[in-house]
Amino acid sequence: MILPKRLGLTLVVLVPLILLVAAPLLSILGQTLGSAAWSDVLVSRLSRNLTWEPLGNTMILGLGTAIGSLLIGGFFAWLVVMTDVPLARTLGVLATLPFMIPSFATALAWSSLFRNSRTGGSTGMLAGLGFDSPDWLAWGLLPTLFVLIAQYYALVFTVVAAALASLNGDAVEAAEMSGAPRRRILLGIVLPMVTPALLAGASLAFAAAVSNFAAPALMGLPVRMQTLSTRLFGMIEIGQAERGYVLAILLILVSAALLGVGNRLLVGRRSFATISGKGARRHRMKLGRARWPLCCTAMAICFVTTLGPILLLVAASLAPQGSALFSDWTLQFWTGAADPDFARGQAGIFRNPQIVKALVITLGLGVAVAVAAVILGVLAALVLTGPRIRVLTETVNQLSFLPMLLPGIAFGAAFIVLYGAGFGPVPGLYGTPLLLGLALTAASLPFAVQTGRATVAQIAGDIDEAARMTGASFPRRLVAITLPLASRGLIAGALLVFVNVVGDLAIVALLYTPDTPVLSVLSYRYASDGFQQFANAITVVILAISVAATALAQLLKGRRP
Amino acid sequence: MRLMTSTLAGLALTALALPAAAQHLDGLSAADLLPQAQAEGSVTVYSFTSRIGRVEEAFEAAYPGIDMIGYDLSSTEQITRLKAEAAAGQTVADVIYVSDTPVVTTELLESGLLSPYVPPRVAELVPAQFTSPLLAQRLSTKVLMYNEETYPDGAPVDSLWDLTRPEWAGKVVMVDPLQRGDYLDLMTEIVLRAEEMATAYEAEFGAPIELDSGLRSAGEQFIADLFANDLVLVGSTDDVNAAIGTLGQEAAPIGFTSYSDRRDNAEEGWALQVANDVAPANGIVFPAVLALTAAPQNPAAARLAIDFLMGDDSDTGGAGFAPFYVAGDWATRTDITPHQDAIPLDQFNGWQIDAVKSAEIRAEVADLILTLQ
Repeated sequence: MILPKRLGLTLVVLVPLILLVAAPLLSILGQTLGSAAWSDVLVSRLSRNLTWEPLGNTMILGLGTAIGSLLIGGFFAWLVVMTDVPLARTLGVLATLPFMIPSFATALAWSSLFRNSRTGGSTGMLAGLGFDSPDWLAWGLLPTLFVLIAQYYALVFTVVAAALASLNGDAVEAAEMSGAPRRRILLGIVLPMVTPALLAGASLAFAAAVSNFAAPALMGLPVRMQTLSTRLFGMIEIGQAERGYVLAILLILVSAALLGVGNRLLVGRRSFATISGKGARRHRMKLGRARWPLCCTAMAICFVTTLGPILLLVAASLAPQGSALFSDWTLQFWTGAADPDFARGQAGIFRNPQIVKALVITLGLGVAVAVAAVILGVLAALVLTGPRIRVLTETVNQLSFLPMLLPGIAFGAAFIVLYGAGFGPVPGLYGTPLLLGLALTAASLPFAVQTGRATVAQIAGDIDEAARMTGASFPRRLVAITLPLASRGLIAGALLVFVNVVGDLAIVALLYTPDTPVLSVLSYRYASDGFQQFANAITVVILAISVAATALAQLLKGRRP
Repeated sequence: MRLMTSTLAGLALTALALPAAAQHLDGLSAADLLPQAQAEGSVTVYSFTSRIGRVEEAFEAAYPGIDMIGYDLSSTEQITRLKAEAAAGQTVADVIYVSDTPVVTTELLESGLLSPYVPPRVAELVPAQFTSPLLAQRLSTKVLMYNEETYPDGAPVDSLWDLTRPEWAGKVVMVDPLQRGDYLDLMTEIVLRAEEMATAYEAEFGAPIELDSGLRSAGEQFIADLFANDLVLVGSTDDVNAAIGTLGQEAAPIGFTSYSDRRDNAEEGWALQVANDVAPANGIVFPAVLALTAAPQNPAAARLAIDFLMGDDSDTGGAGFAPFYVAGDWATRTDITPHQDAIPLDQFNGWQIDAVKSAEIRAEVADLILTLQ
């Protein structure tokens, strides 16, 4: 009997995926079995408002965000990596940032422009200029879609830029030498070569959009637009968790079907190997007269999606009144001593005795999870890009994608039930940072796997083949060939995982202990008692960490020959 | 399978350990609990408010040697976490301090994950309705508030039914009751008080109420009419506060939020004021409760912590209650003086919810709202 190629590796990847993803999923599924929630959700008088309309909105937002993010993120990646656009490095950093900005800040930026009088309070800038925005521009699908695209094009950019940077220049150069027009080079050569990255980026943007809660809750509720994520959150919040879990499972099924179609399209194509043993160094496309106009366009997009929200977020941590973000700025929320006349005696965040510990633990957790997820991610990527094995390969694919779609609170609870108590020789993990790390690794897998896969798909088999013929073992080939060649993708993946971990709240809230405080919990702690400025200040700290991580990633990439 | 066995074992242990020792501890005063509590050395509290941090400091100052470990978790997170812990046979919390009582009583108390405890010292000081099924420590609100700058002559409405009139179309703001449990409790109470709602309808419109088909009471009719009147939903109470409270509005909306948020008026630039003279009531008054977990690891320290959180015998409840002594919230202890900046509870026109009754029809009310959206 001949075993399928890569069977061993596939099984090695499947075991952790089953433990970290399938088991919690089944545990959540188990809670819904026999519950009336299934019929309530699918076939009752409630289904239309509970399920189908939110599902419709969710799919519009998911697909719209995927397409919009592909266009903008792809444009940025091409501009930054492939052309001689001025300020490429700055643009590269700016285009990575939106993913790190919390949705509410981006939504705030939109509102501060287009907000109308529907929710009272103070109105946006346009209303101030005498133009009251219509509801469709201020609330609902369109603004939610804009906010989501404004955040998640960064995902596509990060993945596609990494793939483009690892691209072999041969083909492009040949085409240029033979006089092919730029458009043809882009559409005929570059685009097909980065198809895996485009698909990976679009999948991530889709998953991030359909699971986003803050944007539809802030922009949608005033006109009663619901998505599966707002419904799911609400159902759990009002004590009808089973219905929420059923909605989550439905979301997973629909997304899996869509992802399946995407993969079918990909699998129908041939190899995407473009990183081969030797090749000309890519040289940058000359933009000519378009250089500055394109740079300005890109800068404008960055300003709207990055600097605007960041500015508002920082202002919100300095202004005493949420309705007047640019008046009476004070550092009290950051460094102030406790003063009974100010913020009910709450001292600034830098005087919080837990802040340093929370910072250290957050960083440690972020790095550890990023490393673990990337290792698992690259192995999964090898499985996904290698010869396909019936059922098993597809299982790896789906399991590594769905954690983004599971409600974090249910995911966290499942980890307590499954691994909290320990069994046999395995000690109970509840209350240890390890359990938190494992759950976060599982939750971050989609980022690691999708980015890993986009780059690994480009690595030509011939180098690996050559090494194998000289007798190099699999681990050795992995370390000596695959990892270095996929390094840009891996760094990009690690970065996304890190950012995801430092910002996560839902899972952390269920698994943290006071011995292991993390920044997101500190932020929640302030917000829950109405200390919004303090919460915003912590969010700015989280953002600063994410930006520092991005800069570090840039440095690492820069050092690669 | 192994998992199930350990869960069962955990539950069995709990059942065995409970009776004798626990009953003995329940009757002890704080002073009598102290030696055992000191031997236990620590107590873990799940709290839905970060103010537990200030309680920690005060508790550790009052009882050196006993470490209070506070977790900030929303009520939903506490419920989920306690259930998961029970399934894994791992109890971390000794005490919970939680809101959302309709869910807590059904999901936690009835399934045996909590046990009630009333310190003997306060048993006589807290009215019976606040000691059962769980001990309420203080009361909060979700009530009708308006902008006192826009409406300097007092509340612009005198009946809940005013909110269904055309002039308030698109001008009533609240948090989506299918996003936050306390707002669902508010809607549920309106249905439970259907008779009062019917009387108020007749007083307002001069004719008895007629119900639309499919609606069973004046309470349900009110909710349907409110939603039909272009009710504006938002995601959090802060959004409600900003919507109705922000200064400088010519025609500010009106809405349901927490009375105690009024204390932030000066800092936030709001002009929030409660509409107290509203028929039949201006909203709900609901408890934050204290309870023991089913098998606390530190049973004496747990009871001591609850005792401490109930406040001392001074007018304002002393250090243990200080973080909760705010205008717009009320202590359940009758001997604690009401805050001078707020209407006393007995003059406040809100309905006090009954967690058990509320829990019975809460899901039905949620379904009704679901069909209205």
